[in-house]
Amino acid sequence: MTQALIIFVAGTVAGSLGALLGLGGGVFLVPFLNLGLGFPFTVAAAISLTTVIATSSSVSAARAGKHLINMRLGMLLEVATAGGSLLGGLTAQLISQGTLQKLFGVLSAAVAIIMLSRVRRRNVILDPNIDPGVLGGRYHEDESGCVVTYRVKRLPVAIAASFFAGNVSSLLGIGGGFIKVPVLNAWCGIPLRAAAATSAFMIGVTATAGAVIYYGHGQLVPALAATAVLGVQLGSWGGMRFGAAASVKWLKILMAVVLFIISAMMFARGLR
Amino acid sequence: MSPSPHHPTEREAFRLEVAIGIVLRAGVMLSSACLALGLVLSFSSGTASAAGLLLNVGIVALLATPVARVFVSIVEYVKERDWRFTTLTLIVLVELLASVVAALIFERKI
Repeated sequence: MTQALIIFVAGTVAGSLGALLGLGGGVFLVPFLNLGLGFPFTVAAAISLTTVIATSSSVSAARAGKHLINMRLGMLLEVATAGGSLLGGLTAQLISQGTLQKLFGVLSAAVAIIMLSRVRRRNVILDPNIDPGVLGGRYHEDESGCVVTYRVKRLPVAIAASFFAGNVSSLLGIGGGFIKVPVLNAWCGIPLRAAAATSAFMIGVTATAGAVIYYGHGQLVPALAATAVLGVQLGSWGGMRFGAAASVKWLKILMAVVLFIISAMMFARGLR
Repeated sequence: MSPSPHHPTEREAFRLEVAIGIVLRAGVMLSSACLALGLVLSFSSGTASAAGLLLNVGIVALLATPVARVFVSIVEYVKERDWRFTTLTLIVLVELLASVVAALIFERKI
């Protein structure tokens, strides 16, 4: 009961931080479950993956019909993310906990660096008269009141990043959006909001390919996952509702520091 | 205006988004309800098996939601006669089914 309550609160915190920062929250939940509560890494990753699926489904359900999610691009890139995730789920069983922890250490440092490098990033307003092509998109942006139209550039880069993101996702129990979103935005010409919405949309399918394998291995404990899922749902709902008032810039800097600490702790534990 | 396979009409794209939104929302509601009820039952005494069943149903519903979403997309793309995207989404479905097969193989080993 107490443990369930702790996981529920951890899920709520991870979910609201995730919603505020545009991350899934898994990057906070996995180290808490693994280092804080002492669950094996694979059990922590499996719980985190189920929360990631729930977040993806509920966020995308709320966004569906607003043209923000680029469905065609998402479905195309899902071929790569699901493939990567399937592979990651299979290899996670063969890799030692220490190696997974070291990988997580590297990854959370990378998330922190990416987050810091994007503190000032703003949306690029593109010429609305271009032809979006087969994979591009067009949506109405509420803030500026403009219609944003974009084409997809460098598709092979997007596919490669998606495969890598899918692989990391099921291996380490995170969504992988922090890999896809910057790549789609910076290199493939996709506006930030569309990139984030499309990435969040893909993450459900990506994480499922991995989570199913953990479930088959008996590493996905339903009661633990249930508390975490409900906590994250509550947290991300709250984060989205009240997040507009928060100073995201300082939050990003603070969380980058937290991630560096997580990175060091994971690395230290992995070396032991 | 006849729909071309490579440029879906706005209406078709919208219809797919709405259909996907319904599937995702239904999946989230069903799984959250089962998980919440299962947790409540697991804390009250004497109903351990019912709680376990509900929790597992909730997890399976959660995992099945993205799969159902992919399935709905395939049906929509077939209706649009968009064979390129039918093929792509079919590959995604096969990848998901492959993970289920892998999971079942592992489960049998335990």
